[in-house]
Amino acid sequence: MYLSRRNYTHFLVQAAAIAAIYVVLTLVFAPLSYGESMVEIRISEMLTILPFYIPAAIPGLFIGVIISNLFSPVGAIDVVVGSLATLLAAFLTRRMPNKWLAPVPPILINGLVIGGMLHYVYKFPLLMSILSITAGQVISCYILGGLLILTLERFKNHLFPESVK
Amino acid sequence: MLRDITIGQYYPSDSPIHRLDPRTKLVITFLFIIIIFFVRYYTGYLFILAFLALIVILSGIPVKYILKGLRPLLFIILLTFFINIFFTAGETTLFTLWFIRVTKEGLRQAFFMTLRLVFLVVGTSLLTLTTSPISLTDGIESLLRPLRVIKFPSHELAMMMTIALRFIPTLLEETDKIMKAQMARGADFESGNLIQRAKAMVPLLVPLFVSAFRRADDLAMAMEARCYRGGESRTRMKVLTMGRLDVLAFASIAALIAAVLLNTYL
Repeated sequence: MYLSRRNYTHFLVQAAAIAAIYVVLTLVFAPLSYGESMVEIRISEMLTILPFYIPAAIPGLFIGVIISNLFSPVGAIDVVVGSLATLLAAFLTRRMPNKWLAPVPPILINGLVIGGMLHYVYKFPLLMSILSITAGQVISCYILGGLLILTLERFKNHLFPESVK
Repeated sequence: MLRDITIGQYYPSDSPIHRLDPRTKLVITFLFIIIIFFVRYYTGYLFILAFLALIVILSGIPVKYILKGLRPLLFIILLTFFINIFFTAGETTLFTLWFIRVTKEGLRQAFFMTLRLVFLVVGTSLLTLTTSPISLTDGIESLLRPLRVIKFPSHELAMMMTIALRFIPTLLEETDKIMKAQMARGADFESGNLIQRAKAMVPLLVPLFVSAFRRADDLAMAMEARCYRGGESRTRMKVLTMGRLDVLAFASIAALIAAVLLNTYL
């Protein structure tokens, strides 16, 4: 890695902390999280806006999704597909020019990838599964994530002193 | 209140399945997921069922415990069933209910997809039921090690997973404390509509972030004080080794693959 040694360890541990926050939010708000309804609202998905503020959130969210899905009874297929979708979305969120565009990649990519997975694996109608996942993501990423953005804007200098853009 | 949350599904025991190398179990689960998509006929599912039954018996996990894990998925399972009934085009109409036409093909497809879902869930749950998250992480690191050639950070990934797993119980306790502290100040986490509930989370999230990042800073400093410098030439206390059991496990998945492929293509 290109980071200096001090930042290397720091980056690693920060990413782990973000992953742990993701898992904790998934566990604490579990009743809403593991797709018990057709529109899945995972509270922890509000964290998908974090890469906009702090780069360690890119691997952090990836690992958070891996661990949450390992703990969930839904099983390993979501561990691989869901976490890779999150990783890709996190990369793009980091590159968004404006904070209000930060939730767009997780909405679109998860909607397409998870919706597509439901279609190919369980033969759900393609459009319906994409739309329902996207709707859930709009709620978690824009409404909940938006609240998080408003909060982080107030505290970002304290929370992420090194990585404010 | 949050103390009773069980983290993960791991069912501690000392069965032959628990003792398998985590790499073996990861590879077998991966092959299992692939082979389940090759099943075309119900007879193919008999082999899958036999394979899963063998693992369950050997692992000593009570069947009740596994079925309990399926309960939160009941809705998805039923949904898969009904969506497949309604949306499968078929010729032979069995009966019509208002605008819903149930066909023989639809019913067959529905049963088939539901079984696929249940087998996938049970099969992959068996991995997490019999392998602790830490040994899973060790297995993942070891399996991804060849990817270092293309600069894939397999050690970093495993290290972050290990630290995250270590952080989870601490942060759960912390969340519990913060929630109680804010409730003492009048915060309400349990009522209201979605927006109100989300707003109530702000006084929870900010202290959680602060505390998590502070702990992360402390840990990073402690690691550096002990001269942590990445995965190069790092040795481990427990080295993964494969034994006779693992050979047997690979032989049985090979038998399953052969049986399913013969069933589908012959």
